[in-house]
Amino acid sequence: MSILNLTINGKPYGPFDVEPGMPMINFLHEYVNLTGTKFGCGEGVCHACVVIIDNDDGTSTTHRTCISNVMLFNNQRVRTIEGHAEKNKVGEIIALHPVQDAFIKNFSFQCGWCAPGFTNETVALMEKLKKQPIAKDQVETVIEETLGDHVCRCTGYVKYFNAAKELILTTKGLTI
Amino acid sequence: MKDWALSRRDFIKKCVIGGVTVYSAPMLFKPDIAIAAGVKESLAQSWYQEGKPAFRFDAIEKITGQKIYGRDYRAVDIPSWPDTQHHAFIIRAHIANKVYLGLDLDLIPADIKPYKIITAEDLKNNALTLPPFYGDNMLLDVGKVPDYLGHELAILLFDKFEDFMKAKLLLQFHEKFVKYGDDIVPYTALSRPPYAAWRIIRQESAQGVAGEDQYSTFSHGQFFPQYKGQKLEWPKAISDSKDVGERGMFLANALRQDMAENNDWFVLDKHYQTQSIEPMMLEPEAFNGFYDKKSQTLHVVITTQSPQDFFQQAGKVLAQSPLTKGITNLVVHSPYIGGGFGAKDHTIFPYYGVIASLFATAPVRLANNRFEQFQSGLKRHPFSISSKLAFDKYTLKIKGFVSDIEVDGGGRENFSASVTSVGASASQGIYYIPRNDIQAWCLPSHLPTAGSMRGYGSLQTMAAMEMMMNEAADALDVDPFKLRRANAMVDGDKNTQGATPLGKIRYLEMLDLAEKHPIWQQRHANKVKFDKANPDKSFGVGFGFVSKDYGTGANAPSAYAGVTPEGKLIVKIFSVEMGTGTDTSQASLVADYLGKAADSVEIAQIKLFEALELYEDDNPYIMSQEHQDKMAKDPRWTPVVVSASSASQSAFFQSHATKHAAKILFEESLFPAAKAIWQEAGTSTETILIEHAQWQNGQLTLAGFAPIDFSLLCKKAHSLGLVTGVMTHAFNRWEWADGDFKINTQLKNYPLDAIAVEYGIGASKATKATLNKQGFKVIPRQSVRYPKVQLNSAMVRYYTPCLTMVEIAVHKVSGVVDILQSHTWIEPGKVHVKQLVEGQIEGGLTMGVGHVLHEYLPADETGAGNGEWNIDRYKVPFAKDNGVWNINYTMLPAIAGSDESKGLAEVVMIPIVPAVVEAIYQATKKRFYHLPITPKDIIEALKK
Repeated sequence: MSILNLTINGKPYGPFDVEPGMPMINFLHEYVNLTGTKFGCGEGVCHACVVIIDNDDGTSTTHRTCISNVMLFNNQRVRTIEGHAEKNKVGEIIALHPVQDAFIKNFSFQCGWCAPGFTNETVALMEKLKKQPIAKDQVETVIEETLGDHVCRCTGYVKYFNAAKELILTTKGLTI
Repeated sequence: MKDWALSRRDFIKKCVIGGVTVYSAPMLFKPDIAIAAGVKESLAQSWYQEGKPAFRFDAIEKITGQKIYGRDYRAVDIPSWPDTQHHAFIIRAHIANKVYLGLDLDLIPADIKPYKIITAEDLKNNALTLPPFYGDNMLLDVGKVPDYLGHELAILLFDKFEDFMKAKLLLQFHEKFVKYGDDIVPYTALSRPPYAAWRIIRQESAQGVAGEDQYSTFSHGQFFPQYKGQKLEWPKAISDSKDVGERGMFLANALRQDMAENNDWFVLDKHYQTQSIEPMMLEPEAFNGFYDKKSQTLHVVITTQSPQDFFQQAGKVLAQSPLTKGITNLVVHSPYIGGGFGAKDHTIFPYYGVIASLFATAPVRLANNRFEQFQSGLKRHPFSISSKLAFDKYTLKIKGFVSDIEVDGGGRENFSASVTSVGASASQGIYYIPRNDIQAWCLPSHLPTAGSMRGYGSLQTMAAMEMMMNEAADALDVDPFKLRRANAMVDGDKNTQGATPLGKIRYLEMLDLAEKHPIWQQRHANKVKFDKANPDKSFGVGFGFVSKDYGTGANAPSAYAGVTPEGKLIVKIFSVEMGTGTDTSQASLVADYLGKAADSVEIAQIKLFEALELYEDDNPYIMSQEHQDKMAKDPRWTPVVVSASSASQSAFFQSHATKHAAKILFEESLFPAAKAIWQEAGTSTETILIEHAQWQNGQLTLAGFAPIDFSLLCKKAHSLGLVTGVMTHAFNRWEWADGDFKINTQLKNYPLDAIAVEYGIGASKATKATLNKQGFKVIPRQSVRYPKVQLNSAMVRYYTPCLTMVEIAVHKVSGVVDILQSHTWIEPGKVHVKQLVEGQIEGGLTMGVGHVLHEYLPADETGAGNGEWNIDRYKVPFAKDNGVWNINYTMLPAIAGSDESKGLAEVVMIPIVPAVVEAIYQATKKRFYHLPITPKDIIEALKK
C-alpha cells in the first residue's frame, strides 16, 4: 500500500492508504466520490476520463485517469470537471467556466458522457494559449490536435469543435 | 441510514406485480455528500430564453459533472441505503464450442476470494430465472455447452473494492479460470430454430398503383413458414388457392421466374454483407442494488432506455422465487443514461444485477468495463442480403424486386424478429416497386446477442438498395439522379407491403436540391483539380437517398403537464433521455400552448401513469379486430399501456402526448382561470373565444383585456379548484386512436385514448372524492376509435427522407478514405429545437461513417464474444474521420399536410453509407459489397 496526498479542485485530500497500481479514476470514484470524471474505455483511447494537473512551473497538463496510476497524482494539484464552475457559499453553481458556457450554448454534447474530457482538455488549451497565443489561421489545426483524440459517440464532434474555435477566436489574448 | 418506510411517501406511484409492489423512484442523492450540491435556480432557469432553448435542459448538470447517470451512483449517495458498497463481477464464457466444466477457484488467492459465487445451481435452488423475453440458462450449468460467446457462468461477490479489483484484474483475461472440456462440439445455436421469418409479397393491379393490388401483405395479411430445423418451408405455390400463403407464393415464384426470363428487363443481381457492430455508447452498463431485508425492499439503480420493461419483468422474477419471498417492494431508480443507441433497450444486464443484489449482504454494484461491454452488450444484427432489382430497359422503371435476407440474431433472441421485419420492409428505400418478393429470416448464432441498435435493420437493407441503384445507373449508363427520378415514390404510391405512406412525399424536391449542389455539379472539375494536386490520392463523389420509417406500430406515449400554485410548470414524460434531447424538446414544445417552457421535466416516468388506470390484455400486433372492438368498450382498456424509448420515438410520438396535455391544461384550466380574473375585474367574457387568446412575454393576452401573468393564472386555477394537471395517453398503430372525453362541461374529441386530471388546492370535497389513490380523476372515455388491426400488416407508414452527398479522397497507397465534405438534405417536419436536429444529423453521419469504413467485429471466436475487444482494436470514428469542419445540411421547411415532427435519429446515419461506397467507386472504379470497406480491402482491390 502507498500513502497518497493530493489537492483536488483546490481542496486537500489525504492521507489515503491506496493500492499502488490503482488507476486514478478508481480513486476519484471509490475513495472521494467524484464521479464527474467518466469511465469510457479503460485503456486510454476515448479520453473521457481526462483531468488536469497544475504543475509547479505554472503549466498545466492533461492526463487520462483510466491508465494513470493513482500515485502519479501524489502531492499534485488536480482539477476535475467538478471544479470549473463558480459556486456560492452554499455550494450552488452560479456561473460556468467560459469553456463550459461555450459548450452548452453550442449544444456541443448530447448524452454528455464525453463532456468532462472535452471540457478539461479545452480548459487546459485555453490556458496554454493565454501564455502562448497562436495565429488565427492555426486555430482549427490546434483544435484538431488537442481534441482530435477524444471520442464522442453522439454528436459528430462538430459543435465541440465549433464552440472551441469560436471561444478561442473571441477570447482576448489567445490569438495573434 | 433512513428507514425505508419513512421515506416511502417520497416515491412515485406504485403498482403490484405478482405480489411485489414496484415503485418508481426519483434520482436522489445526499446533498451533504455529493460534491455538486446543485445549480442556482436563476442559472438553471436560463436554459430557455426569448422563446427558445439557449441550451439543453440538462446541460448544466452534464457539463459540471453532477451525479445524474446510473453509473455515477454508489451506496453512499442514496438515501435509505447503508454506506457499505459491495462489488459484483460476472464470469463469462469465451468459448462456445466446448463443454463448460466449472471455474478453477484455486487460482484466486485466499486474501481476495469472493464471499459468494453465484452459480446456475443457486438459481435453480431458488427458482430464479430470466424473464421469458430473454430465454433460459441465465447462468450456464456445469456440463453444458455455452449457448453463445460471452454466456454468463457465475457472479462473484466481493465486500472490498480493492479485493474486487485485484480479482478482476487477475481473472478477467485468465485463460484457465474457466474450465472447458477438450473436445470440440457443435454450437448449440445450430440446433435451435430461427428466431423469426417474414415474407413481403406484393403485385400491383393491372391498372397500376391506383387500382387495388392483385396481392399484398397489407390487403391479404401475413403468412409464415414452417421450420424444419433451421430451414424455412413456405407454403406451396398455387395460383388460384384461397390460402393467402399459397397464392402469395405463386406470385413470388412468378416474379422470380420473370427475373430470369424477361429479356426486356435489366436485372442487377447482387449480394451484400454487413457486419456485427458494437453500439459503443460511452457509458458502459451499470447497476447498483440493495436488498433491505428489514423493510422487505429491493432497491435498484438501472441504466436502461426501457425502464418500463424492467418494471414489468423484474417484479415477476422476484415474485417467483422462494429466496425473494420476503420482498414486498421493488424501488427502481432510472436516471439519465450516457448514450444508448439501442444497446440499453431491453438489455438483459440489470437482471444479473438483481441476482447479485439478492445474494449480496450489502448494496452491490455491478458495472461492465469496456471489455465486458463488448463481450456481453447488444450488437447490431449482421445482414446477408441477396437481391435482384429489375428495370425496364427502355423506361428505366423498376419492374420488380426480390430479396433473400438472412440475419444473424446472436445468442439470445432479443428484438431480432422486429429488426428482421423492419429491415425487410425498408428494403425498397425511396422507390416505388410494382412487384416484390422479400423474404427475411433471422437465425440464432454463437455470437453475442443482437438487439435494436440504431438503424434497426433498415440501415442494412436500405444502404444495399442504394448501392444497387448506383450500380444500376452505372450499368445502364444513365445519370443516377435520372434513374432515381424515374422510380422515386410520389403521393399515392404504395410501399412493398401495399400500404400508403402518410404525409406528403417530397423525394423529387430533395433530388432537385441535391442535384443542383456544387458538390455534384462540379464533381468532374473538382476531381481533375484534386487528383492533379494530390497525385497519391483519388477523388470521388457519391450520394445515397433513403426514407426511414419511424414508429413501431404500437406506440403508446404518456405525458403529464401541470402547474403549481406558485406558477411552476411541470412536465413529466415516459421517455428516457438518452442524449437526443427529449427533455429539452418536451420542455420547449409546451410553450406553444402555455406561453412558457417547463420549469422542470421528469423523465422515465412509468408508474406515475398508472393514475390513468389503464390495462392491456393482448399482443397489439396480432390481436383480432373482434377482440379490439370488444375491449375498446372498456374505457380502461388500451392496446398498449407503455412502449419503449428509442431514438426515433420522441419527436413525433412523445410530443403528441405532451402537447395534448399542455393544450388541455390551457383549455380546461388556464383559460377558464383567465376568464374568471377578467370577470372579477368587471369585464364581460361571454363572447370571448379561446382562439383569440395569445401568449406574449409570459402573459396571456386578449384584445380588450388586461394581460395576466402565467403565475397569476396558476394561482387562480388552484384557488378555484380547476384542473391543474393533465395526464394523457395515446396509441398509434400508424394512425392515432381518438376518443371523446368530457373534462368540464363540453364533450370533446382528442387524438388520445385516456385522460386523467388533477385539481387545484381549492377543489371542493365533492371533486376530491372523485380522485383515485394517485390523486387523479380519470376522465371517462365515452367512446374511442382505435386504428384497425389490419394496419399491422402495413408494417410501416411513417417515413423521414434523408439524402447525403459526400466528397472523399482515397489514398492510393494506404487505402485510407478521407471524408472531405458532406451535405445532407432532410425533411424533419416541424422542428422543435433546431440545434438538436443538427446534432442528430452530425452524429448520425459520423456513426454511419463508422459503419461504412471502420467498425467491425469478426463473426467467430475472435470477435467481441471472446472478451478481448475494446476500442484499441474496434475503431470508432474520430473527428478526423468525418470531415468535421465540412458537415453541412439543409432542413426542408415543414409544409401543411406533412407530419408535424418526424422521427429522425436513425435515418440520419443511413445515406452516408451508400454515398461513401459510391464515392469510393468513383475514386477507384472498384465496387465493394461488404461493410466496412477497410483500407486493406481497398489496397487489395486496387492491386487487382
